[in-house]
Amino acid sequence: MPSTVPTIRTEPRLAGALAAALSAFALGLRRNLVNWPVLMGRCLFYLVVMTIISALWDAVAAQHLPGTMAALLPPGGLTLYAGATEWITLSVASIHLRLEDDIRFGALEPQLLRPKPYLLQKIAEALGDTAARLVGIAAAALLALALSGRIAPPPIAFVYVAVLGVLGAAIGVLLLTLVGLCAFWLRRVLPPYLIMQKAMFIFGGLFAPIGYYPPWLYHAALATPFAANLFLAGNQAIAPSAASFGAGLLLQFAWIAVLSCLIALVWRAALRKILREGL
Amino acid sequence: MAPIVAVENLRKTYRYVRRKPGLSGLFRRDIRSIEAVDGIAFTIAEGERVAIIGPNGAGKSTTLKMLCGILEPSAGAARVLGLVPWQQRRALAYRIGVVFGQRSQLWAELPARDSFALLRRIYDVEPATFARRQALLVERFGLGPLLDQPVQRLSLGQRMRCEIVASLLHGPALLFLDEPTIGLDITAKAAIRDFIREHAGAEGQTVVLTSHDTRDIELVCDRVIVINAGRIVVDQPTDQLRRQFLGHRLVTLRSAAPRIELALPGVVRRASEPHLSVFEVDTRATRVDAVVQAALALGGIEDITIEDPPMEEVVRAIYGANDPH
Repeated sequence: MPSTVPTIRTEPRLAGALAAALSAFALGLRRNLVNWPVLMGRCLFYLVVMTIISALWDAVAAQHLPGTMAALLPPGGLTLYAGATEWITLSVASIHLRLEDDIRFGALEPQLLRPKPYLLQKIAEALGDTAARLVGIAAAALLALALSGRIAPPPIAFVYVAVLGVLGAAIGVLLLTLVGLCAFWLRRVLPPYLIMQKAMFIFGGLFAPIGYYPPWLYHAALATPFAANLFLAGNQAIAPSAASFGAGLLLQFAWIAVLSCLIALVWRAALRKILREGL
Repeated sequence: MAPIVAVENLRKTYRYVRRKPGLSGLFRRDIRSIEAVDGIAFTIAEGERVAIIGPNGAGKSTTLKMLCGILEPSAGAARVLGLVPWQQRRALAYRIGVVFGQRSQLWAELPARDSFALLRRIYDVEPATFARRQALLVERFGLGPLLDQPVQRLSLGQRMRCEIVASLLHGPALLFLDEPTIGLDITAKAAIRDFIREHAGAEGQTVVLTSHDTRDIELVCDRVIVINAGRIVVDQPTDQLRRQFLGHRLVTLRSAAPRIELALPGVVRRASEPHLSVFEVDTRATRVDAVVQAALALGGIEDITIEDPPMEEVVRAIYGANDPH
């Protein structure tokens, strides 16, 4: 084994970085397969949450409240909407906690001593985690829907929800990455995470579609990445349309681009800080 | 031949803000600085195994981080394998291996095999080269039965062997080991030292090691750089350091008589047992051969052992001599 002249494949830098990121993605997927009881537990939790939410909306629908917002609800209330948004929320990997651990406890240093970009690897790994969860929870959701006897949305709605849901989850990973990077300055990610969680609740429309908000608030919420994270996919479960799907797709790609640039800027600042001051 | 590591007048000053007590602290900040590394210089040749040691806060970890490229110096220059570490960190990463004893580079929930496979991608190692190296290292480090177990189920010693293999898979020319035996039991420590020594010896690999365990230094390294308060206070071959710094050796005599007395200047009896006498010899006062001759003249000597004092005493003496307090 030659030690002084290591064999280095001379492939283009970007291709090498992407190949390594793909391997990290596969590793994230594999981790969920190895820890399948944890994934099963997550699916079970989703079913428990959805049982409660569907019972709530069934009770609201049974009231027949003319002249209120409840009268505007689709059949079955917002169960399908919440099913989609909860699917995304419970699937997004907690990359912020992993980043916090690496930064606070020094595990970042050995990982910076690798030739591939640390953050790209971490995001790819989190996306792998998220992908496994999306598949697992989607299977649980479809099974529950079939067994519940509820009126299912048209087949095209499943396609729209799936596409916008996957991209929404990717936006969720990017948002949590930004939260995680705060650890370089704050050491702890809980305060920014709590703020982001509330923003997801309010602007993302976790439980109720932002379409029910007053117009000014609806437009304000729609202009945030939180709506791209949850609302756009959830809305397709109750009001599927090719036009709103296309517009949502564009909006999501725009947010992915914006958030990626923002992450790159914050990461550069963080890297400058640790190279100058250490961890 | 150009040195593998060349360091010139390397300095690192950390600045920190100290807030004044009371309300005035909200508006007035007191910026202070600490010289973590204060103008060190040394070179390391190919194939050398060098220990960088020092008390806590001496500057050894800061030095190591600058040599790896994850910390920029405040002043000075360094070249590692011909590269400036903090400017060419990624290019250097292909050619160095790093093990931090307290920080894992493996994925805890997955078997080591999965981590190794990802590292192959990260370091762009050809599949055939990787397979050959992995097979060799797994055999050398005795990891065969452990490869498919999740890392979190391995003992600390087993995990550390996996960590070292992970750091060697890309065939680095230079290996940085930061406290590789910390927290391990005696057997695991011995195994790790044997592995490092044998592997580095077989591959002609350059090793830079930091440790608080003097046995790591004795058994792995052939040169010691002692850093204290950010400066190099000693830079010598391990054997020479031991002899020169303490200037005494241990002579153990096994005898037919239960007790032996040697009345020589600078020769002091240490804790002994019946028929086994241990003498500490100050070689500046009496040479060791004079002690041996005097012992043999007494008659009834069955065995003689001459040893250097333990490295721990050497290090304690060096730190003591350089303690500013």
